[in-house]
Amino acid sequence: MASFEDELKSALKRQEPSPDFAERVLARVAAAPVRRASQPWIRWMAAVAAALLLAAGGLEYRHYRGEQAKEQVLLAVRIAGGKLAKAQKRVQMLAHRSNS
Amino acid sequence: MPRRPASPAAGLDFASLVRQHQAMVFSIAWHLLRDRAVAEELAQDVFLSLHQHLAELESPEHVQFWLRRVTSNRALDEARRRQRRPMVSLENAPEPVAVTPTGDPLMGAALRKLVAALPEKSRAIVVLRYQEDLDPAEIARVLGIPVGTVKSQLQRALALLREKLSRVVGQASGLSG
Amino acid sequence: MKSAALPIALLLLAGALPAQQVKWNFDKLAARASESTDVSLDGALLQLGAKFLSDDDKDQAKVKKLVGGLKGIYIRTFEFKKPGEYSAADVESFRAPLHPPDWQRIVGTHSNEEGETVEVYIKNDNKGIGGLAIIATEPKELTLVNIVGAIDLDSLSDLGKHFNFPEVEVEKKK
Repeated sequence: MASFEDELKSALKRQEPSPDFAERVLARVAAAPVRRASQPWIRWMAAVAAALLLAAGGLEYRHYRGEQAKEQVLLAVRIAGGKLAKAQKRVQMLAHRSNS
Repeated sequence: MPRRPASPAAGLDFASLVRQHQAMVFSIAWHLLRDRAVAEELAQDVFLSLHQHLAELESPEHVQFWLRRVTSNRALDEARRRQRRPMVSLENAPEPVAVTPTGDPLMGAALRKLVAALPEKSRAIVVLRYQEDLDPAEIARVLGIPVGTVKSQLQRALALLREKLSRVVGQASGLSG
Repeated sequence: MKSAALPIALLLLAGALPAQQVKWNFDKLAARASESTDVSLDGALLQLGAKFLSDDDKDQAKVKKLVGGLKGIYIRTFEFKKPGEYSAADVESFRAPLHPPDWQRIVGTHSNEEGETVEVYIKNDNKGIGGLAIIATEPKELTLVNIVGAIDLDSLSDLGKHFNFPEVEVEKKK
């Protein structure tokens, strides 16, 4: 019998949109008007905004990757340190027994 | 403006990206909104935005992260807006065609309705966990909330779903509650 | 003699090469395990993760100091549905690369009660410890750890105790 979580995964399985979904998206992209700023200062502002978005987007992803790597480092130290500490604890217990 | 090297994602074929990710984007929207037409429209808007921002994305993994984030946030905003307006009852919301039906179909339908009745943020957390198989840290990144919040809300949501499901199953089998 | 010169040259060269990751083959176990955890942090990813560790958090600051000079951390944990799903031969295959003169086993412990063993190996290089390997077996779990670089064993063990056995620290404070 499937577990509750298996049933949830099955219930929330990805669903396909309409068969022509991709074609409709591509049609909208092709039909989207290309806006051209008439004023040089508007073009300059748009360039600055785009540069900021670019930097923010890249920074956001690097932040995400860094946070991921940090969690992995902490996990690694927890696992490796735990095994080493266990071995050390046993050695100390054995030493204590042989001395008593 | 200083020149930047072309990002790897910029070379990706946009049409391929749409086909590759359409089920993921549509399903996040659908499970959060339970309205097929609105979910498809939202999904289309997300891909239009992707087209506009593609050059900023650094890799295929970045594209996937970006799509999950934007879809979840926009669907949550839409869900909150719709909460303030009377909508079609969930019982009447048509089910989309499943790709491959697995599990108990009646149980699946019941669970989907119960998930749809969760508060928006909990609903998003459950969908990202069980539809996208993300762990709590990844869900926290996508939604921009602390991982502790994700874990506690997920725990509460699962407890609530289990309790409600057992009542639904009990009623369906004629057992008294 | 010509025939001896090449092996000697290779040995000398080996001393000058940067510490290498242990080459373990996980395919057989991965196929049998019900769950597996894979943590693979090469130098670049390790340094990226370390940058995001907080200096204000005591634990994270200690971890940051510990991993600062390391070149890699590689951990695989395999979990099995029932005991006996991996063999002594499997474990022996992981011991095989960890032999003298490069590697030295410094600890080997076994608990009959829990059916657990932990073996700790250190890699020798000119400056001292150049790496660490741990093979930890339990009835339904096998863990392999390889750390590349000069690792401070005491700090790693202290952090391990702190994260995994906080009750030990409470006992000490009493």
